[in-house]
Amino acid sequence: MKVKFEHIGEIEFDDDLILTFENGLIGFENLKKFVLIKTEEDLFYWLNSIERPEFCFPLIGIRVIDENYPFEENFEAFAVVILNKDPLKITTNLAAPIFINQDCKIGFQKILDNEKYPVDYKLFVES
Amino acid sequence: MLILTRKLNEEIVIDGEITIKIISISENQVKLGFDAPKNIEINRKEVFEKVKESLMKAAEMKKEIPQNLKGLKPNKI
Repeated sequence: MKVKFEHIGEIEFDDDLILTFENGLIGFENLKKFVLIKTEEDLFYWLNSIERPEFCFPLIGIRVIDENYPFEENFEAFAVVILNKDPLKITTNLAAPIFINQDCKIGFQKILDNEKYPVDYKLFVES
Repeated sequence: MLILTRKLNEEIVIDGEITIKIISISENQVKLGFDAPKNIEINRKEVFEKVKESLMKAAEMKKEIPQNLKGLKPNKI
């Protein structure tokens, strides 16, 4: 399958890489098919909608930030990232993780509703 | 909007598989209990809206990739 994504251009990939989100994403319930892309030099993953290629969400593996984050068996937890040219302003959404099983090619998003995990958690600090 | 009156411990059934129970009532607060299949997402509306907004913002800001991450480290919990 060949899809032209807005920010990374045209990409060709095998159909068996397509991830199915049965319930879509929160606020984007009609988007059900995605492809997860990460280039070697890229820090972020890109969750690209196949149905609406203009929709793309940068993600980060939550393990980078929290090793004790609530897990779902056989799923990898990702947080949606709000990018910014100023890296100290980049935030990640820990309140609504995206869980992906890359073997079964399925994913879902859920809200944790726990004060410990805000929607706008700062991704970087000065070292 | 459908409006129903319920008393303490009474329930409402939606679609035969979602049950909502009035657990407690105080002056300006009700506590509700939900029983629903696992694939039904139940959330406080204001949290849901916040998440939705944040996803839209993430899609909007996708091109704002920072060029230099020198001197920074992940903000570990």
